[in-house]
Amino acid sequence: MSRVSRVRAEAVAAWHSFLRRRTAVFFTFFFPLILVVIFGALVRTGATGGGLFTEPAGYYAAGYVAVVVLFTPLSRVGSEVARTRDGRRFEKLATTPLTRTEWLLAHTAVNGVIIGLAALAVLVLVVGLTGAAVAPSPLLVPLVAAGVVLFCGVGATLGALADSQDGAISASNAVALPLLFLSETFVPPSLLPAWFRPVVDLSPLTYFSRGARAATHTGDIGVALTNLAVLSALAVVAFGVGAALVPRTE
Amino acid sequence: MTDTVVADGLSKSYGEVQALSDVSLSVAAGEVVALLGPNGAGKTTLVRALAGTTPPDTGSATLFDETPSEVDRARLGVLPQAFDPPGRLTPRELLRYYGGLYDERLPVEATLERVGVADVADTAYEDLSGGQRRRTCLGITLINDPDLLVLDEPTASIDPAGRRRVRETVAELASAGATVLLTTHDVAEAERLADRVGLLVDGELIAEGAPADLVAEHGGDHRFVVECERPGDADLAGLGVDVDRVERTPDELRVYGAGVDDVGPIVDHLRAAGVDPTGLSWARPGLEDVYLALTGETYDPSGSDRDTETEREVSA
Repeated sequence: MSRVSRVRAEAVAAWHSFLRRRTAVFFTFFFPLILVVIFGALVRTGATGGGLFTEPAGYYAAGYVAVVVLFTPLSRVGSEVARTRDGRRFEKLATTPLTRTEWLLAHTAVNGVIIGLAALAVLVLVVGLTGAAVAPSPLLVPLVAAGVVLFCGVGATLGALADSQDGAISASNAVALPLLFLSETFVPPSLLPAWFRPVVDLSPLTYFSRGARAATHTGDIGVALTNLAVLSALAVVAFGVGAALVPRTE
Repeated sequence: MTDTVVADGLSKSYGEVQALSDVSLSVAAGEVVALLGPNGAGKTTLVRALAGTTPPDTGSATLFDETPSEVDRARLGVLPQAFDPPGRLTPRELLRYYGGLYDERLPVEATLERVGVADVADTAYEDLSGGQRRRTCLGITLINDPDLLVLDEPTASIDPAGRRRVRETVAELASAGATVLLTTHDVAEAERLADRVGLLVDGELIAEGAPADLVAEHGGDHRFVVECERPGDADLAGLGVDVDRVERTPDELRVYGAGVDDVGPIVDHLRAAGVDPTGLSWARPGLEDVYLALTGETYDPSGSDRDTETEREVSA
């Protein structure tokens, strides 16, 4: 029970801290929503029918959710690690019973709630604005959860390696932007050169996109489950690395 | 008494800077030990090495006969020097948060009262004054009712009333059986609170002992200071009082080794010699004199920051 109590105490504190940073709350939800508005409603397909955003609207629903699953934990956990280190809070926590794994677990849980809400808002907006056919697959829940765990682990790693909060945010942006466009989110593999396509498989976000698209758009449950399995395995590794790198000493 | 804290030959360097050099120190159960020293002397590094938040290069440390990494953390209450908890949370929430990390904890409301932040318990930490913040941090440190308190400058940034409150809290905890290791720049605070004082200079523990013992060994003589216009005119020949030495500055005569009973005869002698004192002060040596003597730092004895408890003013 004590482990659960410690994680709960850390998560409640993190949740309250997040809710009271009004700009953080606003932009956490505003950023993915504005992407949906721009690329879902404003950007039009070219006259030739080729290029970006030429697939059916439902194809991109998984991409919009991927934006939330990727950016939010990377930037939030990365900057939280840096902020906590700067305030000597890790030095204090190192003298309490809370472990690194418990700390990251608590912050992952908070991100899970935030991202779950944001993903829901994104899906509602996608359907409302674009009329996309999106199947409400329950598989989306474990896919989002695995993605959150994975990118919280990566965020913790970036935060631990960066020497400042600014550095953590810059690093997360530098990682997130290439991943976003090279992970079958908005750019179909057919638009990439053949020699580059295997590189897409190296991105963990690819497995989220494929799984979420299979669950919500194509309805291929086998593909969704396969990608969920890969994503979960990657999440375990990323979480383990992130937890090991969370600072405990000065 | 059993030793709660034992440091044995701790050394630590940061690049070419030797932060700690072969420091050995023990703190008995129920004892209050204060570490004094100039900035950069190694106090914080020593505290971190003992708390397990920085690994020493050589040497070892034990808390309750276990290494810092193995000790039951519920028995520790550590206050890092620049600790800055989440600023959007209130003192009440912060105590609930940190208390929630332990299986057993003190009542939050009573702890808020104890450290004197009950009246601002619902104000965001970032909106508190420096003293209120530090007292909140002390409350966080006490919330698990620790057996060992490691406090790195617990009264930094606190006003005199707040400092007194913190001192009283630490004294209460010590009298209730807690072991306390603290660092401070406030010599008077160390003298009042500590059973023993350790003096660190350039990473070395150069003196350690009870304040009275340190003063007796290193404090020097009683000092009688006579403010006057022409101290050079004062002829102390035939004074009839046994003193160790006399120093003259442009506006002071400093008589070392004069007891308080010697004040009257010295003043009478000076007046008879035509020197009219405009101010008199007599002081017995204190821990501050020990600090200054051993650290080699300079200090103007006519300054106003002397410990008033060890000073007796005599009207001229």
